[in-house]
Amino acid sequence: MANQNENLDVSAKSVEEAIEIGLAELGLTRDEVDIQILNEGKRGLFGIGSEEATVRLSVRSQGQPPAPPPEPSTEEPAETAPTASIPETEPAATGTESNGDDAVSLAKKHLENVLQLMGVEATVEVRTAADLVEQDEEPPAVLDITGNDLGILIGRRSETLQALQYMIRLMVSKDTGRWERVVVDVESYRSRRRESLQKMAHRMAERAVANQERVVLESMTPYERRIIHIALRDNPNVYTKSIGRDSNRKVTIIPK
Amino acid sequence: MSSMKELVEYMAKAVVNDPDSVIVREIEGSSATIFELSVKPDDMGRVIGKQGRVANAMRTLLRVAAVKEGKRVTLEIV
Repeated sequence: MANQNENLDVSAKSVEEAIEIGLAELGLTRDEVDIQILNEGKRGLFGIGSEEATVRLSVRSQGQPPAPPPEPSTEEPAETAPTASIPETEPAATGTESNGDDAVSLAKKHLENVLQLMGVEATVEVRTAADLVEQDEEPPAVLDITGNDLGILIGRRSETLQALQYMIRLMVSKDTGRWERVVVDVESYRSRRRESLQKMAHRMAERAVANQERVVLESMTPYERRIIHIALRDNPNVYTKSIGRDSNRKVTIIPK
Repeated sequence: MSSMKELVEYMAKAVVNDPDSVIVREIEGSSATIFELSVKPDDMGRVIGKQGRVANAMRTLLRVAAVKEGKRVTLEIV
């Protein structure tokens, strides 16, 4: 049940970018929210005198739960927002993306080659990850890397895993001509991380309510923040919003 | 030829429009190995990415390979 009190304030370089980030975090499409522009922002010259644009997204209250987002995995909404002038490497997401069999087998081939060149001994298994998305979302194909001592492939704050997934997506997208959202995982790290984030979200929400104090979580990737927002979407006692910029964005849990 | 050089070549060739123009030079320094990647001017954006995202992803993966070999590396796009 969409909660009427669910507001999300997002700041970014442009209004458009702020909206995209916000929608990605909420896991909603544009017609499921009301968008209020709080600050249009200013471009500035070379960033001097520029001001961030801020928008407020409020979930429309409907008699039904919000429809699932059309794109199940929203890993890089902030980073792929088409704003910069450097030529874009990835074809724009058109909504026709799929994890077709060729995309998956191409991804597997690239991943195996990259791992081998990195000197990592591991095997790649393909599975469908129903445990990585909400019940009403289409599960993406996951390339799960298994082997011994693979912590090195996850890295601090899963930086290495993100880099690996990003490069594989770029390579496959180059081959197929459209943006492919295959998921790269290591020893099911993402499922375990998702579960622990959900548990933490509920625990921190309880703390926020008990202390009547906002709780600021550690900085996370857009995908991880989305997990938190969704986990607390139906909690009547708190609302969530993200603060900070880029890699420093943190979910804040605020008691109502 | 180390596999680190091949790794850089593989990743770069897979994301550019003109793979034949991808050249990687391996320069052995006293404290670190430098990899110099050059691509066709048109392809520069593809190996750098917005805010250096592609270059940084390649650096991150190259670093894993380097740790495995007990080396220090840098990747420069020239």
